[in-house]
Amino acid sequence: MKFYTLDMLKKYNGRNGNPSYIAFKGKIYDVSKSFLWKNGKHQALHSAGMDLTEALKKAPHGEDFIKRFPLIGYLKI
Amino acid sequence: MAKVAREMVERAGIDVDKLLELLIKNAAAELTTYYYYTILRANLIGLEGETIKEIAEIARIEDRNHFEALVPRIYELGGKLPNDMKEFHDMSACPPARLPEKLNAKEILKVLVEAERCAVRGYTQICNMTAGKDHRTYDLALAILNEEIEHESWFSEFLGEGPSGHFMRRGETSPFVSKFLK
Ligand code: HEM
Repeated sequence: MKFYTLDMLKKYNGRNGNPSYIAFKGKIYDVSKSFLWKNGKHQALHSAGMDLTEALKKAPHGEDFIKRFPLIGYLKI
Repeated sequence: MAKVAREMVERAGIDVDKLLELLIKNAAAELTTYYYYTILRANLIGLEGETIKEIAEIARIEDRNHFEALVPRIYELGGKLPNDMKEFHDMSACPPARLPEKLNAKEILKVLVEAERCAVRGYTQICNMTAGKDHRTYDLALAILNEEIEHESWFSEFLGEGPSGHFMRRGETSPFVSKFLK
C-alpha cells in the first residue's frame, strides 16, 4: 500500500484524466468510479485530491459511504 | 434574473454560484428520478407490485413537481439549466434510480428508498446552507424536504422497517410544494 503526502494527493483531483482520491481519517480512497464524484467534484462543494476528514463533519451523511470505495493508501503526515 | 433578490442572498454570506450549482444538481435529480420512476412503476406488477404501484406513482409525480418548483428559483438567482439533456442527467445530485437486476417488488422498493434517502440528504444540505439567509430558497427546499421525507417513510414501511406514521395522499399531490406551483 502506498503512502501519500498532502502535496502528492493534490494531483489526484479527477481533472485532466487523473483519478479522484480522497483522504479520510488517514486513509486514501479511490472514488473515481462514483457517479457523485465526476471530474473530482462532489455536490458542488468538495473536491478530490484533498483531506476531507473535517469536511465530512458538516456533510448530510456518515463515513460508511466512503468505506465502500477501494482503500488505496495512507496519508503521510 | 431578480437582481436585488440575488444581491440579498450574496450579502447574507451565501456563495450564490455554489448554491445555484446545488439547486441545478437537485433539479437534475428530480427530473431524472421522474424518468427512472416511470420505468420502476411500469415494472411494479403482480400481487406485490400492484400494492406499491400507486404510491410509486405519487412519488414520481411529486418529484416532477419538485423539478418544476426549483426551476424558477434557479433563473431568479441568475442560473440556468444546461442546454444538453445528457449533461443535465450526468450532473444529478443523486445516482440514477435504475431498474434492479433482480426484478421483484422488494428490489424495486430498495431502489426507491435509496433515491428518496439521497434526496433527503440533498435538501437537508440546502436547508442548512440557506437557513436564516436565503428565505425563499429555504422555504422551497424545506417544502420539498417535507415531501421527500414522506416518500422515504412510505417505501421504508413497505420494506418492513417500521410504520411510516401517516396515510397515503387523499386525492391531492404535493401538499407542501403546491404553493410554489401556482
Ligand atoms: C456538505 C457536503 C456534502 C454533501 C451535501 C454530500 C451529499 C451527498 C449525497 C446526497 C450523497 C448520496 C447519498 C445517498 O445516495 O443517499 C453522497 C454520497 C457520498 N459522499 Fe457526500 N456529501 C458531502 C460531503 C462529503 C464529503 C466531505 C465526503 C468525503 C469525505 C463525501 C463522500 C461521499 C461518498 C464517498 C459518497 C458515496 C458516493 C457513491 O456511492 O457513489 N461527501 N454525498
